Amino acid sequence: MNKKWLTAATGFALVTVVAGTACSSGSGDGGSKTVTITHYTIDSPDRTFVEKLIPDFEAKHPNIKIKVTKAPYEQFDSKLQSAIAGKKAPDVTSHWGYGGFMEYYNKGMLMDLTQLLQDDGFSAGDYNIPENVMDIYKVDGKTYGIPLNSYVTVMLYNKDLFDKAGLTYPPTDYEDKSWTFDKMVDYAKKMTVHSNNLAEAQYGVDFGWGERDQRVQYFGADVYSEDTWTNGGKPSKVNLDQPAVIDAYKKIYGLIHDQKVAPTPAFSKSVSGQFGDPFLSGKIGMSVVGSWSLAASSEFNFKVGVAAVPQGPNPNVRSVLYVDPLFILKDSKHPKEALEWIKYLITTEVQEKSIELSGGNPPVNQKAAEKYYGSFEGIEPAQIKQVYDGAYKYGFESYNHLIDNYSQINELFINELGPVENGDKKPEEVLPTIQEKLTKLLERFRQSK
Amino acid sequence: MNTAAAQVREPRTTSRRRKMPAAGPLIGFVVLLAVTVAMLAPLWFMVSTSLKTTKEMLAFPPTFIPETFAWSNFKELFTNSDIKFGQQYANSLIVAVFSVLGTVISSSLVAFGFARYRARGSGLLFLLMLSTMMLPYPAIMIPQFLLFTNIGLHDSLLPLILPNFFGSAYIIFLLKQFFSTMPNELYDAGRIDGSNEFRLFWNLTLPLAGPALATVSIFTFIWSWNDLLTPVLYLDSQENFTLPIGMAAMMSSKFRLAPWNLLMAAALLSSLPIITLFAVAQRRFVEGIVLTGIK
Amino acid sequence: MRRKRIDRETRAFYWFISPWLIGFVVLALFPILASLYYSFTDYDVVHAPVWIGLDNFRELFRDELFWTSIRATLKYTLISVPLTLLLSLAFAMLINQKVPFQGFFRTAIYFPSMISGVAMSLLWFWVFNPQAGLFNLVLSWFGVDPIPWLLDARYAIWALIIMSFWGMGAGMLIFLAGLQGVPQHLLEAAKLDGAGRWKTFRNVTFPMISPVFLFQLIIGIIDSFQVFTQAYTITQGGPSYSTWFYVYNIYINAFKNFRYGYASAMAWILLVAVMIVTYVIMKTSNRYVYYEGGQSR
Repeated sequence: MNKKWLTAATGFALVTVVAGTACSSGSGDGGSKTVTITHYTIDSPDRTFVEKLIPDFEAKHPNIKIKVTKAPYEQFDSKLQSAIAGKKAPDVTSHWGYGGFMEYYNKGMLMDLTQLLQDDGFSAGDYNIPENVMDIYKVDGKTYGIPLNSYVTVMLYNKDLFDKAGLTYPPTDYEDKSWTFDKMVDYAKKMTVHSNNLAEAQYGVDFGWGERDQRVQYFGADVYSEDTWTNGGKPSKVNLDQPAVIDAYKKIYGLIHDQKVAPTPAFSKSVSGQFGDPFLSGKIGMSVVGSWSLAASSEFNFKVGVAAVPQGPNPNVRSVLYVDPLFILKDSKHPKEALEWIKYLITTEVQEKSIELSGGNPPVNQKAAEKYYGSFEGIEPAQIKQVYDGAYKYGFESYNHLIDNYSQINELFINELGPVENGDKKPEEVLPTIQEKLTKLLERFRQSK
Repeated sequence: MNTAAAQVREPRTTSRRRKMPAAGPLIGFVVLLAVTVAMLAPLWFMVSTSLKTTKEMLAFPPTFIPETFAWSNFKELFTNSDIKFGQQYANSLIVAVFSVLGTVISSSLVAFGFARYRARGSGLLFLLMLSTMMLPYPAIMIPQFLLFTNIGLHDSLLPLILPNFFGSAYIIFLLKQFFSTMPNELYDAGRIDGSNEFRLFWNLTLPLAGPALATVSIFTFIWSWNDLLTPVLYLDSQENFTLPIGMAAMMSSKFRLAPWNLLMAAALLSSLPIITLFAVAQRRFVEGIVLTGIK
Repeated sequence: MRRKRIDRETRAFYWFISPWLIGFVVLALFPILASLYYSFTDYDVVHAPVWIGLDNFRELFRDELFWTSIRATLKYTLISVPLTLLLSLAFAMLINQKVPFQGFFRTAIYFPSMISGVAMSLLWFWVFNPQAGLFNLVLSWFGVDPIPWLLDARYAIWALIIMSFWGMGAGMLIFLAGLQGVPQHLLEAAKLDGAGRWKTFRNVTFPMISPVFLFQLIIGIIDSFQVFTQAYTITQGGPSYSTWFYVYNIYINAFKNFRYGYASAMAWILLVAVMIVTYVIMKTSNRYVYYEGGQSR
C-alpha cells in the first residue's frame, strides 16, 4: 500500500516539476548574449528540413540559436494563433496554413520590415530575387515579407498512360498555342477508362488549377471585383451571378460530369483519402497542380513528365503563382537576428542545398533555381525551366495570399460546391446561394473591422 | 452501489429447456446471430485490410481474406519516421496511466470526504459537484485552453493529465456511493485506535475499495485513451501527439495516397489495450460500463 | 466539546474535498465565467477582448451556419439516440431470454464498442468508401447501386447515424444488468395474472428498468449534443455543411477563424441547452420512471 502511495506521490511531484520547468522556460529571456529565434513551420519533410541547416547557421552565428516548432497543415493557423495567445509567438514563419498574407497583415500580426531592411542594407538583388517578386509582399511601399520559395501551377502527366494510349507528350513551351484546353480534353478522353473496379478505373485529367474561387480566372472570369487587388484583399463585390463566371464553372465541373474525363470526388477520395492527390495512384493521365507535387516525384511509381498548362480562354493567366515568403512576427524581440536567419535561408548556397534537403522546393533565388530545374530524375532541366518561365510570364498570385479572411471564404466554396462536384446539382443552381452567402460574409468582415 | 451491477451474469438456463427450444427463443437466436455477423463484419474488414497490400486494398469487390499477408504494414507503422506511431502510442499510455492515477487518487479522497463528513455547505457542494457532470466540455474548453496556454503548457501532455488530479465528478459520485455503504462501526473502531482521519481513509477504507477502484480505473483509462478534442486543442508536434490525433493526422496527411492498410493496422493496434483490459478483467470491465454508462 | 467535534469534522471534510474544490474553481467555475465574459466580446487572441455587448448573440441568430449546425446536431441526436437506445434494449431483452450462447452474443455485440473514437471513425470511413468499401459491397448483393455515403450531403449524416448503432453494446450491457435485476417473483406474478408478453413488459419490466432508461437517455442526448470526433476525422463538417455539428462549429470558429468571443457565445448556448434538456427530461420522467421505494436515489 505504502509503495503505491509513493509511486503516486512521485508521479504527482514529477508532474509538478515538469509543469514548473515548462512555465519558466516560457518566460525566460536568459541573461546571456545568445538569442534564440523560433522558426515555425509545417510538419512535413519538405519544410522541416530546415532543421538540418541549423548547425551550419549556428556555427556561422554563434550568438544565435534556432529553434524549430512544427504543426500539421490542418492545425497550422490555430497553433500559430494559440502560440501568440500564450505569448510564445515564433519569430519567423510563413503563411503555410489556410490563411494567407492579407489575413496575417490585416490582423496586425506582421512586423513592418522596411526600416530593418534599410538599416541592414538589404538588397533583393544580392539574393537574385527579382524586384517584382519582392513587391508581392509590400503594402503601401512597406515590406512585410521576404520571398523564400516560388511555386507555380504546372501540368504533371503520367508518361506510362500516355504511351499506352499512343499519345504524344504535351509541350513545355507556353508559346506553343496548339496546346489548348480543348486538346487537353481530347487527350483526356483517350486515357479515361470507366470502371467500378478501382484497380481498373482511370481518368484523363484532374484539373486542380488554383482554389475553387480562383479557378474561373483561367477561363477569363473573376469571382471578385477589381478593387480587391488594391484595397488589402477586401472585395467590394462578388461576381458569381455573372454569365462569364457561371459559364466558367460549367466548364470546370463539365470535365467531371459532362465530358466524364476528370475523376469524381468519390474516386479521388477512394484512392487518396480526404486530402490526398489521386495523381499519385497512377490512375490519372494529366494533373494540373501546384509544383509542390513535383517534390513528391520520388514517390511516384510511374514515369512522370511536366508540361505547360494548356492555353485556355484567358490569354493572360495560365498559372497560379504561390510565392512563399518569410515573415517576422510583430512581437519578435530579436528582429535583427531573425533577419540574419532569413538572409541565410535565401543565399544561393543555402537555397541550392535546400532543394535537395526538401526533396525539391523551388528557390526564389534565381541563381539557385538553375539547380532546381535539374533536380528531378527523368525530367529534362530545360523542360522544367521552360515551364517555370512560361508560368511566371502568364502567372497570377494565388488568391489565398491576397484575400483577407481567406480560410472562411474557401470553406464556403468547398461546402457549397460539394453537390456540384458530386453531380447532384448544376453550377447555376448553387452559384446564386454562394453569391448571397459570400456577400453576407464579406459584409460581416467589413463590420467587424 | 447499484445492485443491478452486481448481478451482471448470464441468467441460469435449465437444461431441460434447452432440449426443445420454443419458437420465441429460436427466432431470437437467429436474429442475434444475424446481428452478431453485422456487428463483427466491419471488424473483420479492419483486420483483413490491415494485412492487405496497397494494390489489393483498392480492388473491387474487396476480398475478405488477403491473398498475401502483408505483415510489413504493422512493421511500417513503427519504422516509418513520418508516422511516429510508437512514440504516439507511448504518449497515449503516459497520458492514460497518469490520468488514471490522478483521477483515482483525487476522486477517492473527495468521495471519502463527501461520504463520511457532514459540514456546513456539504450538501450544497455535493449537489454542485453532481451538476458538473452535466457540464459540456466545449462550454469550458476555450478559457481552459487560454489558461493552460498562458501558463506555458501548450504542446505538452500536461493539459491532458493535470485536470485529472482534481477529480472527476462521475467517479467521485460512484465512489461516494460505495464509501457510504461502509459501516460506521468500522470507523468508530478506528478512531478508538487513535488513527487520524487520513489513516482512516488510507488504511481502512482504500483496502476495502479495491474492486470499486479497479472499476473506475478502467473507466478512466478508456475515456482518456479515446479522447480526441483535448489533444486536438493542445498538441502541436507529432512527437507529442496521442494516438487519436496521430491517427487523424495520418488520414489527412497531404500529398500521399490514403494508406488504408496502415490506417487499419493502426486502428487495430490502438484498440488492443481496451480489448486486453476486457479480456483480463471482464467482470470489472462490464461493471464499469454498467455503473458509469460510458460508451 | 461538541463544537470542537464539528470543527474537526468540517476541517476533515474540506481537507478531503479540497482537490475537487480547487479544480472546480480553477477548471470549471472560472472557465464558465470567463467564457460568459468572452461571449460579450470580440476576441481574436492577438488583440485584447473588446466589449461588444450582445452583438455576438445577435449575429448568431442571423448566422445561417449556426442554425445549420443546430439542425445537423438535432437530426443526429433525435434519430441516433432513440434508435440506439431501443436497439440496445431490444437486444438486451433477446439475450436475456433463454438463448444459447448468451455470453458469446453479449461479448460480440459489445465488441465494436471497444473500437471507439478515432479508430472507429477510420474504420467506418473505410467501410463507407464508395467503391472499395464493405457497406456498398453488401448493398450490391441486394442490387443497390454504390452510394457515395460520405461524399453526398443527403447520405453523410445517415452514414454517421448508422455508424452510431455499432456503439450500442455499452447500452445493451447496461440494460442487461437492469433486466437481470427485475425480481423474478414479479414476472411470475404477472404470468399468473394472465398478462401477455407486451403487458408484462409495459407493466413490470419497463417500470423496473426505467431509471436506467432515463439515465441512458440523458447521457445519450448530452453526449450526442457534443458529437465532434466524426465531423473532425471523417467529414470535416461536409459535404455541404450536412455534418457541421454544433461543437465542430464552435471548434472552427474558435480555433480556425479565431473568433473566441463568438465561439464562447455558442458554448454558453450549448450549456443552457443541456441544462434545459436535462431539466425537462427529469421533470417529465415522473410519468414513466419508477423508483423503488418511491424516491430517487
